[in-house]
Amino acid sequence: MSHLSEEQLDQVIAAERSREQAPLNEWRTIAARAREEGLIRESQSSRWWTSSQPWLQSAAAVLLLIGGIAIGRATIGLPSTAALPGTAQASGVGVTPSASTAASVPATSASGDASFASVDDAAATLHRAVTDYERASQFLAANNTTGGNTDSLSMYLDRAAALDKIVNATESALRTAPHDPVINQYYLATMGARAATQQLVTQPVVLRGF
Amino acid sequence: MPFDQLDLKRAIAGDERAMQRLWSQHAPHIDAVVRRLCDDSELAADISQEVWMQIFRALPSYRGDSQFGTWAHRIAVNRTLNALRKIRRIAKLEVDIEDDSAMTEQDSDRTFVAESIEEAMRKLSPGARAVFVLHDIEGYTHGEIGEELGITSGGSKSQLFKARAKLRKLLVHLVDESSTVVEGKGHVAPV
Repeated sequence: MSHLSEEQLDQVIAAERSREQAPLNEWRTIAARAREEGLIRESQSSRWWTSSQPWLQSAAAVLLLIGGIAIGRATIGLPSTAALPGTAQASGVGVTPSASTAASVPATSASGDASFASVDDAAATLHRAVTDYERASQFLAANNTTGGNTDSLSMYLDRAAALDKIVNATESALRTAPHDPVINQYYLATMGARAATQQLVTQPVVLRGF
Repeated sequence: MPFDQLDLKRAIAGDERAMQRLWSQHAPHIDAVVRRLCDDSELAADISQEVWMQIFRALPSYRGDSQFGTWAHRIAVNRTLNALRKIRRIAKLEVDIEDDSAMTEQDSDRTFVAESIEEAMRKLSPGARAVFVLHDIEGYTHGEIGEELGITSGGSKSQLFKARAKLRKLLVHLVDESSTVVEGKGHVAPV
């Protein structure tokens, strides 16, 4: 045989068309060129989510607070559905600082059923919520002397391990959908809860105010 | 992961992560067409850099009328052909396909289909190679190829016919005695 048939050639071409090929350059090479030309702006690259999405920064702050408070309250056995006075619930965000789990928080905040007039309106509400949570936390720390049982260190460690798994799962999800607001909120809430739990691990004592 | 509008805005704003996501998603296909149009991998890498710079520069002009990949692919083809023209690799498009001056006669005993077709394409004249890649691999019509290369639709068809005839000859080693296309070492696939 001195020639492929047309069909055989088509098959070879189909194989070539579907062949996966690695990029010709590494990203760092492309990035270096883009940086030279001013196409990459460092401020955008390093702080995109804080500079371009100030609402996300506020949401993160709220969720970190919620996570910490929720974990703290759950740890000492305060009623899980107790709402904090002067919190976002009153401000209309729709975020209820329940102590069920940290992960449950973003589900309510992401419902999107709040009637905001604009992004600025929503951002302002978030800012108010942050302020309210801070004030409420300070008030509780100073005035709520309700005691609780000192949970064992092993319980904190179990919770920390469980939260680590959630963090890993949400980090994995964020690699797939890095800008999904719901996943971001779950991630942030879990991180907040984990940080609070780690503090309890290092200081497993009854916390005033939680 | 789809490249969404938010990513696009961030990439336009100079966010490296968004730009990297764009590149990661589309580089395999974009770079593949550059690689196929060039007959030199080093040259292809250089041109690919230029292509990506052009894509990033042109991002603000992307209106979303077509798929991002299609839009970027057009840039890649245009930029690559322009680069090849500049270095006189496509000085004469209507070359005689049977002119073997562009051919390297080194015999290759490589049996992988991918390597074989790369090697065979390297032996095509630049014009025939461009027509073959754009039509048979990238799916361009002869009319579109004519616009890209500045030739007539008939010229494109003629080049393709000649290119395929030559490839059928150059790739005959992929077919063994039992009429199977060699897919790799020790593996055969029926044709």
